[in-house]
Amino acid sequence: MTAGFSGVLQLTDLDDFITPSQECIKPVVVEKIKSVTGSKIKIQDDGSYVAVTEGGQAQKLQRVDISLNDCLACSGCITSAESVLITQQSQEEMLKVFKANEQLKEAGKESELKLIVVSVAVQPVLSLAVRYELEPQDAFRRLSGYFKSVGADIVLDMTLSEDLSLLECENEFMERFRSKSDGSKPHLPMLTSSCPGWVCYAEKTHGSFVLPYISTTKSPQQIQGTLVKQFLPTIQGHHPGKIYHVSVEPCYDKKLEASRSDFHNEAEDIKDVDCVITSVELEQMFKSQDLRLSEIPPADVDFPWLDGLNCSEQISYKGTLVGHQGTGSGGYADHVMASAAQELFGDSNAELKFKVLRNPDMREATLEKDGKVVLRFAIANGFRNIQNLMQKLKRGKCAYDFVEIMACPSGCLNGGAQVRPEEGTQQKELTSTLEKLYSELPLHSPKLNPLVHEIYTNWLGGAGSDKSSANLHTSYHAVEKMSTALNIKW
Amino acid sequence: MSSEPQAVPTLKFVQVLKGHRGRAWNVSWHPQGNLLTSCGEDKIIRLWGTEGGAEGKWVEKTTLTDGHERTIREVSWSPCGKYLASSSFDATTAIWDKKSGEYECNATLEGHENEVKSVAWARSGQVLATCSRDKTVWVWEVAEEDEYECAAVLNAHTQDVKKVVWHPNDEILASASYDNTIKMFREDPSDQEWTCVATLASHTSTVWSIAFNKTGTRLASCSDDGTLKIWQVYLPGNQEGISTPDGQPVWKCVSTISGVHTRSVYDVAWCHQTGLIATACGDDIVRIFQETLDSDPNQPTFNLVASSVASHGHTQDVNSVAWHPTVPGLLASASDDGDIRLWQFLDSS
Repeated sequence: MTAGFSGVLQLTDLDDFITPSQECIKPVVVEKIKSVTGSKIKIQDDGSYVAVTEGGQAQKLQRVDISLNDCLACSGCITSAESVLITQQSQEEMLKVFKANEQLKEAGKESELKLIVVSVAVQPVLSLAVRYELEPQDAFRRLSGYFKSVGADIVLDMTLSEDLSLLECENEFMERFRSKSDGSKPHLPMLTSSCPGWVCYAEKTHGSFVLPYISTTKSPQQIQGTLVKQFLPTIQGHHPGKIYHVSVEPCYDKKLEASRSDFHNEAEDIKDVDCVITSVELEQMFKSQDLRLSEIPPADVDFPWLDGLNCSEQISYKGTLVGHQGTGSGGYADHVMASAAQELFGDSNAELKFKVLRNPDMREATLEKDGKVVLRFAIANGFRNIQNLMQKLKRGKCAYDFVEIMACPSGCLNGGAQVRPEEGTQQKELTSTLEKLYSELPLHSPKLNPLVHEIYTNWLGGAGSDKSSANLHTSYHAVEKMSTALNIKW
Repeated sequence: MSSEPQAVPTLKFVQVLKGHRGRAWNVSWHPQGNLLTSCGEDKIIRLWGTEGGAEGKWVEKTTLTDGHERTIREVSWSPCGKYLASSSFDATTAIWDKKSGEYECNATLEGHENEVKSVAWARSGQVLATCSRDKTVWVWEVAEEDEYECAAVLNAHTQDVKKVVWHPNDEILASASYDNTIKMFREDPSDQEWTCVATLASHTSTVWSIAFNKTGTRLASCSDDGTLKIWQVYLPGNQEGISTPDGQPVWKCVSTISGVHTRSVYDVAWCHQTGLIATACGDDIVRIFQETLDSDPNQPTFNLVASSVASHGHTQDVNSVAWHPTVPGLLASASDDGDIRLWQFLDSS
């Protein structure tokens, strides 16, 4: 279970040996029924706990149920033990929803049916393509075929959300950087926010100090969530509450992200992403059903965004996988730096090369004007590089303007829940295979995606509008450190 | 120290150093042997020196305060003797030096999630290691003046890590944990990644401390299971025919000393001059072990040759023992009773 999380979250308080953590602050409400001293607690064969009163009456005890969101709100632990159920975020739960929908269909109860939407990120597709020796586009279509065969109504790529995330991130950076000239002290470097492992670590460990540096732009997964639950209904006519949205991602940390209360409309009990399924879980699902992705009949990947929009003709990537310039984690540093070089310094042909520093997971690029460095960007992956960056930031010795941060070494292509290498293959070899596959995908530029402009104009009321910031941005919350006597151990 | 002829080896009480309030957690010697450092619950690092040469009485020379907000668990001198590292339950490790004329904390290593249990410098003085209750072992590189960069975060252990020590000659790091194992790490020269290269499993409870012998061919470990174990390294192509998978050296437990300690054994120190092993035990006793002369190298025998006597001994758990780097047989110990005691091992003649 823990293996699917990024190293950062495994480091920060993933406690397996106490369940729930002794430091867990979730008030466990035990509904007491006239407690009589002398009652005993027995463990049944099925593992349930039963209180036996003096009279010999047995009363089944409630088990403590902790959701991922409880854990996120606490500095005590994120426990990964099986007894703490990640109820809404498992493949079982997803298949249960699929099955229930199937039964509703059979019973003809159309009005109760859910619209099942599956959004697929690029990294899991590449991971599964390598695992089943498929060409990436083929793997994507077969994955779509699989989801449709088990009941999905719509299968989507996430290019549109990635584009929106990159563009919002760029705007945010420009705004911060430009405000330097009017004398205010903006929070630079701006740190990317698409990796929930890093965000969770920052909230828990560095709290209010570091949070203002983190970009408020939502990750592609959560932008996709907004599009599926807010924008798609305007086309499809479904009530958001009737949409079940699954996201396919390269890491378990994305489950934590989807569980954040920021992405949950409590009044209507609508979550932007209902369930996150990862590459390894899909591999397990195929295995348990004795399936190989290569044997599953392919199906089209849907592109429902175009209804009522006028740009259909100009979109080249409909239903296919594309890649962005730069890292397989989304290419934030490359995109924002190229844009900044052009917009802030009029340099549209800048050679932006990220050169390796102390290790391949710490890279840096600079833009020079008249012999002076005017922009300094970095890519920091993996815990130790994040750590060194944090220390530099704290000591005021961090000279960067922007840092793309991912908790996993090598970034999202090497996400914690990507398919493990086959025996005899090194993790690093697999990662470079995935990096190569990613770089071979058709190159896509967010600025040249006409759909993005349609979305801004027709739905969000323009870039920078209130609606844009409400839908494409989020906020972070420092988690108070606890120091209770219980924590002290030698 | 005078060594009169002895009928049997003895551990002679030399002196008690009083000052710490609350538990004294650790003692360590300056590499030149002219200073003894101790730390504990009172968050104070005490530096002790002699009056009038090595034969003189040890007295408190100076105290380092305000470096940590909680208990200081361990202090460790850099091999050059210019830097002192202290690890604390406040989750930080402080680096002290005397460049300004007085000892000052000029760098703080932050990153561990909670209590830092141990800190150790590699022989080169360019790398140090820390470990913590957060289950991780961190390797730090000296980047530049007073700048330390994290080079690795190793999460091979599944529980609290109690102790880190470096191999005396090679850049190999060993760690001991509440998960009952000892692990060894080294940097892969091909990609500069630190990786776990050995797991030593045999103890049945927490491994509290470990110590290499002078050549680094053996390791002593002590545990909550009450035993002292001796491990020996077998290199690829060894004469004994011990297989070494992946061309990595293999560590085997070649001796277990049990039935001697009556409580948890908290620390072990291997004297690089005499080959003696000292242990610190929860039964308040400091013990000295010696390898027998006719000992089989692959199944060595270690005998208990001397112990601290109750009349001069600690009155509570002994937490730490350290052999003097140049005076053979001179030993320091720290205890829950707050005292530091000095001992002289006298061999039979």
